[in-house]
Amino acid sequence: MLELSGLDIYHGDLQALWGVSLTVRDREITTLIGSNGAGKSTTLMAITGLLRPSKGSILFDGTRIDKLAAHKIVELGISMVPEGRRLFPEMSVRQNLEIGAFIGKARRAKYETMDWIYEIFPILKARAEQQASTLSGGEQQMLAIGRALMSQPKLLLVDELSLGLAPVVVEKISDVLKEINKSRGIGIFLVEQNVQMALELADIGYIIENGRIVGQGEAEALLESEEVKEAYLGIA
Amino acid sequence: MELAQFLTYGVINGAIYALVAIGLALIMGIMGIFNIAQGSLAMVAAYASFFLFQYLGIDPFLSLVLTMPAMFFLGLLLHEGLFSWMRNFSAGQKLRNSLLVAFGLVLILENLATVLWTANERCVTTAYSGAVLATAGLRIPYIGLSAVGLSILVIFGLHFFVKRTLFGQSIWAISQDHQCAHLMGINVRRTTLIAFGLGVALSATAGAVISLYTVSPAVGLDWTNKALILVVLAGVGSIQGIFFSGLLLGLVEVMSVYFVGVHYTGVAGLVIFILVLMFRPQGLFGKQVGV
Amino acid sequence: MPVQVRNWFVGALGVAALALLPLGIRGEYSLTILCTLFLYVTTSQSWNILGGYAGQVNVGQAAFFGIGALTTRLLWLNGMPFPLAIVAGGFSSVLLAVIVGFPALRLRGHYFAIGTLALAWIGHITIGNLLPGISFLTGRYVATYSLVLRYYVFLVIMIAALVTIYLVVNSRIGLGMEATRDDEDAAQTAGVNIVKYKVIAFTISSFFVGLAGGGFAFFYASYYWYLPFGLMWCFEPILITFIGGVGTFIGPIIGAVCYVALKEIFALTLGEINILIFGIVFILTILFFPRGIIGLPAALRHLKSQKVSGGAGESIGPR
Repeated sequence: MLELSGLDIYHGDLQALWGVSLTVRDREITTLIGSNGAGKSTTLMAITGLLRPSKGSILFDGTRIDKLAAHKIVELGISMVPEGRRLFPEMSVRQNLEIGAFIGKARRAKYETMDWIYEIFPILKARAEQQASTLSGGEQQMLAIGRALMSQPKLLLVDELSLGLAPVVVEKISDVLKEINKSRGIGIFLVEQNVQMALELADIGYIIENGRIVGQGEAEALLESEEVKEAYLGIA
Repeated sequence: MELAQFLTYGVINGAIYALVAIGLALIMGIMGIFNIAQGSLAMVAAYASFFLFQYLGIDPFLSLVLTMPAMFFLGLLLHEGLFSWMRNFSAGQKLRNSLLVAFGLVLILENLATVLWTANERCVTTAYSGAVLATAGLRIPYIGLSAVGLSILVIFGLHFFVKRTLFGQSIWAISQDHQCAHLMGINVRRTTLIAFGLGVALSATAGAVISLYTVSPAVGLDWTNKALILVVLAGVGSIQGIFFSGLLLGLVEVMSVYFVGVHYTGVAGLVIFILVLMFRPQGLFGKQVGV
Repeated sequence: MPVQVRNWFVGALGVAALALLPLGIRGEYSLTILCTLFLYVTTSQSWNILGGYAGQVNVGQAAFFGIGALTTRLLWLNGMPFPLAIVAGGFSSVLLAVIVGFPALRLRGHYFAIGTLALAWIGHITIGNLLPGISFLTGRYVATYSLVLRYYVFLVIMIAALVTIYLVVNSRIGLGMEATRDDEDAAQTAGVNIVKYKVIAFTISSFFVGLAGGGFAFFYASYYWYLPFGLMWCFEPILITFIGGVGTFIGPIIGAVCYVALKEIFALTLGEINILIFGIVFILTILFFPRGIIGLPAALRHLKSQKVSGGAGESIGPR
C-alpha cells in the first residue's frame, strides 16, 4: 500500500535520512522503531507531505505522493496522529473531531464517524464540550487518534504513541488500535521508541538508526532476536 | 448631561477604531503578517467611497457592495505579490519581513494618494451628514449611529462566521496550529490567501465610515496605530474583544478630554496600553501568551 | 583566535582612518553625511543586538531615540555640558526600557513588535501634543557650533556601541541571546535564563539608541521637538540591518553604507516622487534580500529542501 524507496531527507543543511526504504502493507500494522533522533518523525513528515525528500520516492497505492501538497495526501487516505498530540487547544473535543472531518467525503459521514469514535473512546463523549487543552495526557492521545480517524483514512500514521503516557493508558490505546485495524481494515504505521509495546502490537517491524534502516522482519521474530533484545530491550 | 454626550462620542469613535482593527486582527492572528498598511488600505477604500459618491452619487454605506469586493481582490493581489513567499518562514522572520514590506506599502500608498489626489482633505457630505437623533437628552449623529451599527454587524458577523462555518473553522484551526491544519486536509495556502483578502476587504468598511469624516493621504498610519492598540488590548484570538476594546479606548479617550483636556488624548491611550502590557499581557479578552 | 585578532586589527585601522579624516576632509556636506552614517550604524547595530541576536523585534525604537534626544536637548540647552547631557540621554532611554520595555518582553512573537510600535506611535503623538513647536539653538550655542566636534561625537558614540556590542555578542552572553532567539522553550529547558538575556540585550540596545538620540539633539540647530520620535526612526534601523544581514555583526555596517548612499542618490535625482520610488525599492530589497546581502548564498541553498516545515533549523512545532 505504502512504499518508500531510497529516501534522502534534509532538515535545512543537515541530512536526516539516508536511502530509507520500507513497505507498509494493506490492512497490517507496521512499526518503525528506533531511539530518539533516529529519524522516525522525519519519515512520517515526508509521508504526510510536510517535508519534501531530496531524493527517492513515496508511492501510495501506486500513486506518487512525495511531491504532493499535504492536504491532497489527506484526501488520498493517509492521516497522521502527530507527536505530542498537537490538538487545537482552543477548540473543544467535539470541535477537534469535527475539524478532523474537514475533507469532502469525510464531512458527509461526519456524524456516523463521530458516533464510532465515541464508541471506541467513551471518555471523549463524556468530555465532548470540554476544551482540548484541559484533558489529561491519555485523553488527549485518544482525541488525537479520534481526530485522525475522522478523515476516514486507509492508512493511519501514529507518531510516538507512548510519549508521556502511563503504561496502563498506553496498553489500553494499543488495544484500541489493534481493534480498529482488525474490524475496519485500517492500516497502521506506528513510529515508536517503546520497542516492546510496538513489536507486540505490530505485524511487521523496521528498525532505524541514525537515519538508516538497519533491520526489518516480522515483529514477533524481531522481538525474539538477540540484537533487538540487547540494543533496545536491555536484555543481555 | 454633557458627560453623557461625550461618552456617546466615545462609543462612536471606539466603534470606528474597531472597524479598522478587525481586518488587522484577522491578518495578524491567522497569518502572522504584521500588516501596518491596514490603515492605509482603509484610506484607499475611503477615497474609493468618496469618488463613488462624488461621481455616481452612491452613499458610502451602499457602495460597500462595490468597495468590499474591490478591496478583496486587491488583497489577493497584495498577498500573492508581497506576502505569499513568506509562507514557510519562521514566526520571527515572517514578522520582520512582513513588517518591512507593509511599511514600504504604506510609503507607496501614501505617496501615490498624494500624487493622484493631492494632500487636501476630502469628506463625503450626504443628506444626513449633519442630522442627529435627539433622544434621552442626547444628540446622536446619524453617521455615528450607522458606524456603530456597521461595526457591530461586521464584528459579530465575523465572529459568527469563524465559529459556525467550515471555512471559518479552518481559519480558526490555522491560527492555532498551522502545521496541524495541513494534517486535517485543509488547503492552508488557499485558505490563508482568501483570509488575507477578507482582512483587506474588511478595511473597506472602515474606509466607508472614514470617508464620511475626513480622508487625506496621511490618515493611514493614525488609524493603523489605533488598530494596533486594539489588537494588543483585545489579545490573541479574540474577535469580539476587538469591539469591546474599541469601546474602551474610545471611552477612555473622551473621558480624558472631558476631565483633563484635548491635548492628552494620546496619553490616555498610552496609559491603558502600558497598564495592559504590564498587568495582563495576554490582553483583556485573550487566552494565554504564547499559545 | 586569529579571526578575532584580525577583526580588532581591521577595526582599529578603520577607527584610525575615521579619526584622522577631518584633517583632510572638512566639507560640510561630507562631514554631515558621515555623521548621518555613524548615527545609522549606531541605531541599527543597537536594534540588531536586540532584534537580530536576542530575537526580540523592537519596532518602537523611535520612542527610545526620541527620549534620548529630548532629555539631552533639555539638559544641554539649560546649561549642562554636552557630554553629560548626551550620556543622560542614554540613561533616560534605559529608564524607558525599564518602565515599559521589560514588561513588554513578556509578550511573545508579534505582540512584542506590536506593543513597541504602538508605544513609539503614542510617544510621537504625545510629544506632538505637548511640544508642538520647534526647538532652536540660541545665541552662544550657535556661535560656538563646530561640525568637526559633532563628527567626533558621533564617531565616539558609534565606536563605543560597536566595541561594546562586539564584545557582548562574542561572549557567553551572546550565546545566551542567540539561544533565546532560536528557541525559547528549548533554551529554557537547557537552563538558559531567557529573561536575563532579553533584559541585557534591551538595556544595551536602549542605552546606545539613547546616546544616538542625544547625538541627534546635539547635532541639529533646529528641529521640531517631535521629529526624533518619528516612525522612520523605527523602520530605518530595521531595514538597514536587513539589507546587511540580521544577526550578523557586520550587517548593520554594510547596510548603513548602502542605505545612506541610496537615499542621497534618490533625494538628489528624483524630486517629488522620491519617497514613492524609495518605497518601491524598500519592498524590492526585502523581496530579494530576505536574509540580507550576507545571507544570499545560504538562502538559496535552503529553499530547495524545505516544503512546509519552516525556515532553516527550525524545530517542528506550532507557529
